[in-house]
Amino acid sequence: MICIDKLVYRYRSANRPALDGVSLQIAPGSLFGLLGPNGAGKTTLISLLSGLLSPHHGSIRIRDTALTDFRRTYPNAIALVPQDHAFYPMLTVAENLAFFAGVQGLDRRTQASRSAAAIEFARLEGVTRQLAGELSGGLRRRLNLAIGLLADPDILLLDEPTVGVDPQSRHFLLDAIRTLAKHGKTIIYTSHYMEEVEALCDDIAIIDHGRVLTHGSLATLLADDVPSLHLRLPQPLPATLAHTWATRHASFTTCGREVTLAPVTMATLPRILAELADAGLAPLGLSLGERNLEQRFMQLTQRSLRD
Amino acid sequence: MTRLLALWRKETLALLRDRHGLAALFIMPAIFILVMSLALRDAFVPGVPADLGYAVVDLDDTPTSAAFEARLGTVDILREFGRLADEQTARREIAAGRIAFVIVLPEGFGAALDAAARTDAPSATTLRLLADPTVPLAVRNGFRQQVEAELSRQQLASVLDRLGRALMIPELRDIPERRPALEVATEAVRGETTLDPAPVLPSSVQQNVPAWLIFSMFFVVVPISAVFIAERQHGTLQRLATQQVSFGLILAGKLLPFFVVNQVQAVVMVLVGRYLVPLAGGEALVLPGNGSALFALWLMTAAVSVAAVAWALLIASLARTAEQATVFGGVGNILMGAIGGIMVPKFVMPAGMQALTQLSPMAWALDGFHRVMLRNGGSSDIVLPAAALVCFALAALVVAILLNRRARRAHC
Repeated sequence: MICIDKLVYRYRSANRPALDGVSLQIAPGSLFGLLGPNGAGKTTLISLLSGLLSPHHGSIRIRDTALTDFRRTYPNAIALVPQDHAFYPMLTVAENLAFFAGVQGLDRRTQASRSAAAIEFARLEGVTRQLAGELSGGLRRRLNLAIGLLADPDILLLDEPTVGVDPQSRHFLLDAIRTLAKHGKTIIYTSHYMEEVEALCDDIAIIDHGRVLTHGSLATLLADDVPSLHLRLPQPLPATLAHTWATRHASFTTCGREVTLAPVTMATLPRILAELADAGLAPLGLSLGERNLEQRFMQLTQRSLRD
Repeated sequence: MTRLLALWRKETLALLRDRHGLAALFIMPAIFILVMSLALRDAFVPGVPADLGYAVVDLDDTPTSAAFEARLGTVDILREFGRLADEQTARREIAAGRIAFVIVLPEGFGAALDAAARTDAPSATTLRLLADPTVPLAVRNGFRQQVEAELSRQQLASVLDRLGRALMIPELRDIPERRPALEVATEAVRGETTLDPAPVLPSSVQQNVPAWLIFSMFFVVVPISAVFIAERQHGTLQRLATQQVSFGLILAGKLLPFFVVNQVQAVVMVLVGRYLVPLAGGEALVLPGNGSALFALWLMTAAVSVAAVAWALLIASLARTAEQATVFGGVGNILMGAIGGIMVPKFVMPAGMQALTQLSPMAWALDGFHRVMLRNGGSSDIVLPAAALVCFALAALVVAILLNRRARRAHC
């Protein structure tokens, strides 16, 4: 179990903490999704978990051991797969793997076997002699992941591992991550792709402004305490109707031709549909009482643009 | 040790695949040594530089003027291109950059010289020297002194000829042609173990090989900062930190490969000075002949290398982008080289600038090399410059570590 307790971290030049009392519990062997808009504190939390930063307040305990002691006892138990292509473009794939295996202190025999296993897992067999800088975006992502697996870590921190890859590579990576989770690895996964997290993660936390807004299983997060209506319209909602709905409903969000309203019950639904008909709009689709993760995310983090 | 070996192997592979870095480290200094040793060959010879080209415009056209022209032709360090018809042609030739000097022997030159032998009254006739304005003043003055000296000799010869005839001693006329009765010898003051007579000032190749070697050793800033900044920008340093690779270990991983590179540079540059420069017409580099001095030279190379690598790491830590590193490192090296007597030998600088050289680590390095190569010093003679370089290296490394610690906190 990873226990994160009231974690606070403030960058020197920042006027508010990047993390402000974050508490989370991550079960061993789980696939944990960490969501949040830009600047929410995801990378800071990942940096703290990987030992790059030390918290100003609060603690991280893994298997009931303080993180620093845990890292000292099991130096290769946590691996970070950063968002950037954190390897050497002037080295070949095989040289990169040999370097990162060597730098983790693995002996030559283990280096060779782990490199071979990582190559096989990431399906890099055909490009081992190719310079890393000459690989396609998908292959780079796979090499990035393969490097993270060299030390056979128990905990894998994946920071947006599918950014900038084609659908084929994305599916491959998601399958690979599922396989790793099945093998008992604890995976903490950050992404801006809601559908990935929705499809992949058992447990999800949404953070913003350094605080946990919600945390739980996907079903818990999507459970609608307040029944809502989601509409897909042929054209954007007229401003007058948008104003009316925003005034009348506790929750009202629009995104292009998508509109979400809450609370909406079976009793109030006919009136809404009548108002749409008066505005000359016939919905292309509607769902009552169901939300997806993106809607939940937008509802929690609001719509204002982030840095 | 496995970790360090992996870091060394990575740095070596990265360097071997960096063609621009290799060119900056090996080809650039070899060319500098070759070109500068040849270009400055004469600047290190005391007196007027050799191969000063001149032409003569003889408007007098008398036996005396012909004799003066012939006399000038016997001066070793002057080279006559021949006669020109008139002053206008002479000016055109100078303006075109084909001739540095033209001596205009005016009409009445012979008569004036004969008259001067008889009377002390100043002559109204002027021998004019036309000079290329780009020729340095010191060279112009040297040329003028040579001409004046030959003029005095011719005048003295004329007086003695007259006297010899009057006294019936014809040998008197040969006196001016004799060279000074006392030979003036110059000797370099070296240590107790002087092996060879040498000029007081360093020769062109003795100056240029250590100078450009030092300069090129500091150019490890190019490959080191390129890899280091890429590591930081791509998050590789962060990844290494999560793998519990300390920053000190990363620095150690860079120190040894580039230390070896610097040693290879030293060997290559010595070979260039010893074999390539003479092939191109310059002097050969002379190394000290005893083992102790060679060991002292290696110690100096090691101290320069440590300073150069530490400087490169400091620049790589200061710069945020590869472009910044190229500017900081390149301009920093050029400034250190300019101030430190690499580009212009210290002994030709004015006193104020000579004092300023002590600000540059390259000057400390050059001083150390000269103590061994020119003054036959040993290990004890280079303690001061070597210690200064090591202190500089330590200071640069400490600042680099502090900068990286701060950057890590700010960017995670």
